[in-house]
Amino acid sequence: MSAQDSSLTSPFDPAEVVWQPVSPRLVTVRLIPLAIVLGVPLVAGAVAAVLSGIAGLWVVPAVFLLLGVWAAVLVPRQVHAIGYAERDDDLLIRRGVAFRNLVVVPYGRMQFVDVHAGPLDRWAGVAAVQLHTASAASDAAIPGLPPAEAARLRDRLAARGEARLAGL
Amino acid sequence: MSSARTGPGDRPGDPPSDLDWVRVHPITPVVRGWKVIAVLVVIVMQQFEFDVSNAARVARVVGFGTVGLVALGVAALGFAYATLAWRMTRYAVDDDAIYLHNGVLFRRQRAARLDRIQGIDTIQPLLARMFGLTELKIEVAGGADSAVRLSFLRDQDAQRLRNELLARAAGLRSGALDDGPAAEGATQGPGTPAPAAPERELVAVPAGRIIEGLLRSIGTLVALVLTVGMVVLALAVREPALTLSLLPAFIGIGGALWGRFTGEFGFRLAQSPDGIRLRHGLLEARAQTVPPGRVQAVRLRQPLLWRSRDWWRVEVNIAGYAAQQDAGKETVLLPVADRRQALLALWLVLPDLGVDDPARVLDEALSGSGPGVGFVTSPRRARWLDLWGWPRNAYLATGRALLARHGLVTRTLVVVPHERTQSIGLRQGPLQRRLGLASVDLHSTPGPVQPRVHHLDATAAGELVTAQALRARRARASAGPEQWMRSPAQPPGDALPAGPGPDPGRPPGEELQR
Repeated sequence: MSAQDSSLTSPFDPAEVVWQPVSPRLVTVRLIPLAIVLGVPLVAGAVAAVLSGIAGLWVVPAVFLLLGVWAAVLVPRQVHAIGYAERDDDLLIRRGVAFRNLVVVPYGRMQFVDVHAGPLDRWAGVAAVQLHTASAASDAAIPGLPPAEAARLRDRLAARGEARLAGL
Repeated sequence: MSSARTGPGDRPGDPPSDLDWVRVHPITPVVRGWKVIAVLVVIVMQQFEFDVSNAARVARVVGFGTVGLVALGVAALGFAYATLAWRMTRYAVDDDAIYLHNGVLFRRQRAARLDRIQGIDTIQPLLARMFGLTELKIEVAGGADSAVRLSFLRDQDAQRLRNELLARAAGLRSGALDDGPAAEGATQGPGTPAPAAPERELVAVPAGRIIEGLLRSIGTLVALVLTVGMVVLALAVREPALTLSLLPAFIGIGGALWGRFTGEFGFRLAQSPDGIRLRHGLLEARAQTVPPGRVQAVRLRQPLLWRSRDWWRVEVNIAGYAAQQDAGKETVLLPVADRRQALLALWLVLPDLGVDDPARVLDEALSGSGPGVGFVTSPRRARWLDLWGWPRNAYLATGRALLARHGLVTRTLVVVPHERTQSIGLRQGPLQRRLGLASVDLHSTPGPVQPRVHHLDATAAGELVTAQALRARRARASAGPEQWMRSPAQPPGDALPAGPGPDPGRPPGEELQR
C-alpha cells in the first residue's frame, strides 16, 4: 500500500506546482453552521431523554454527537486539502479528501470572476473567489481566502484573463 | 470603429442614433394573440376539470350570451396586448451588432454582437407557417434566454436577414440594411442584399428510419414490457380493468415519442460556407445555421437496439443552446444515421482529425475495444469498477481533438476539438484511489455532451491533464478568428465569399448520398 501511495497522490500533485493553502479560519466558518444544525437536535434529544426517563431515547443525542465528532475531524482535513496555484497560463484548484478533485482553468477561458463573503465569512475574515468559464461544469471556487488576498487574486485573474482573452 | 458611429450627444452604451429601426410583421399580433386565448381556454377547462358537460351546464346558468361576451372581451384584450407588444417591438442591424427593443410594461433593449453569433435559426410554428411568417432566432451564448428573437417576419425577409447577418458575422459586409457608406471591406455594392450562401445537401434522413429508430428506443421497450407485465397481471387476477391504469404511462411515453418524431421529421443536413445547415420538423419547421467553429463538442451514440443496423445519433454542444426550453431539438446534428453519415457529420464539424488514417481511427473509436491505433485504455484493474466495459474506456489525443470513447452496451464516442476545451478536471473517488485510477473531465459549454475519460491509470490521468492543458493552449493560440470568412493571413478586403472559411474540400467517401 505504501509503495503505491506515492504514485496515487501524484496526479493531484503535478511537478513544480507550489500549492497555496487557504485560511484555517475557514474551519471555524464551516463548523459553526454545522454545530448549530447538529447541536439543536442534540440538546433537544438529551432534554427529552432526561425528562422522559426512557433510556432508549439517548440514541438520538448519541447519533448527533457522533456526527458532530465526525464533522470536527473531517472539516479541518477538507479545509487543509483545499489548495490553489497560479501558473503562467492557468490556475489550478484542488480539493477533497475522500473524493478528490483538481481543476485546471486557463486564464483565457475565464468569463468572469466573483468574490463573495457571507456574514459569517466577513466575521471570520475570509472570502471566496469563484471563476466562471463558459462551461457550467468547471466548478472553480476557492473558499476561505483572506479578503486582501481574494481582491488581489480577483484583479490578477481579471488582468491575466484579459491578456489571454479568447472567444468561446 | 465605435467612435465613428457614435454621434455627438449619444450616451456611451446607447445604440448608434443613425440606425434604421424596423418593425416585425404586422400580422404578428394575430399569430401571437391566439396564444393568450389558448392559455385562457386551458385554464378555464382546468377549472371544470376537463368536463365539457359540466362547463356547458354552468354556461347555461350564466347565459350563453354573457359567456360569449366575456370570451370576446378576453380575446379583444389578448389581441390588444399583442398589438401593443408589436408596436413596441423593433429591431435594427449595423455592422457590429443587432439591436432589439421590446416589452410593453417592462421595456428591454438588447444589443447582440454579430461576431459572437453562435447560430441562427428560423422557426415556423404551425400557425405562423399558414401566414407565411417565420421567427428568426439569433443565439449569442449568454446563458438562459440569451437569444435575440425576432417574431414574426415574412419568410423572404427572414431568409434575407439571416443571410445578411451571417455575411456580416463572417466578416463580409454588404451594407444592404443601412444606407450608410459601404464599408471598406464590402464585396457587393451598397443596397445589394447578401446572397444566400450556396448549400450542398449531405444527408436526408427518411421518415421510415426515424420511426424505426424510435421503435428501437428504450421508451418503446419500456412500454412493451409494461404492457406485457400488466396483461399477464390482469389475466392472473381476472381484472381486465387493471390494464387501464397504464393509460397515463402510455400517454407520457407516446407524447415523448410523438414529440421526437415531429421534431426530427424530414431531417436534412447540409453544408454551406456559412456553416452547417439543419432543417427539420413536421408541424413546426426549423432551419438552423451553425457557423464554423461554433460546435464545442460532438457525441456519437449507439444504443444497443441500434447496433444491428449500425445506426448512430449525433449530438453537439453549442454555446447558448442548452438552457432553452427546446434544447433537445436544437442540439441534434443527426437523429438517426448510419455510420457513414454519422462520420460525415463529424467531418463537417472537424474536417481535419489530425491523424494519418482517420477511417481506421474512427472505426476503432466507434466500435473498437482495447488499445488499437494508439488508444489509451483503462488498466485491467478497472474491471472492479467497470466489469466488462473497461477495455472500451479509452482516449486518443490527435493533433486536432481529443477522442473519448466508452460504453459497452450504449456505445459512445465524444470528440472535443482542442481549442474548445474550457477547463479540465481530474477526479478520484475512494474506490478509484484504492485501485490507483482517476477520471478526467473536459469541461464543455452546457449541452447534451459531457466529455469524460473514465477510470484511467492515476498517473496517466495526471499526465493527460497536463498534456491536454498544453494542447488546448496551443490550439487556441493558432485558432482562426471569430469572423470565419476573415482569415488571419488575409487583409479583410481580400476575403472572398467563394472559398469557405475552414476549407471543407470534399467529404470523405465517394458514394455520398445527395
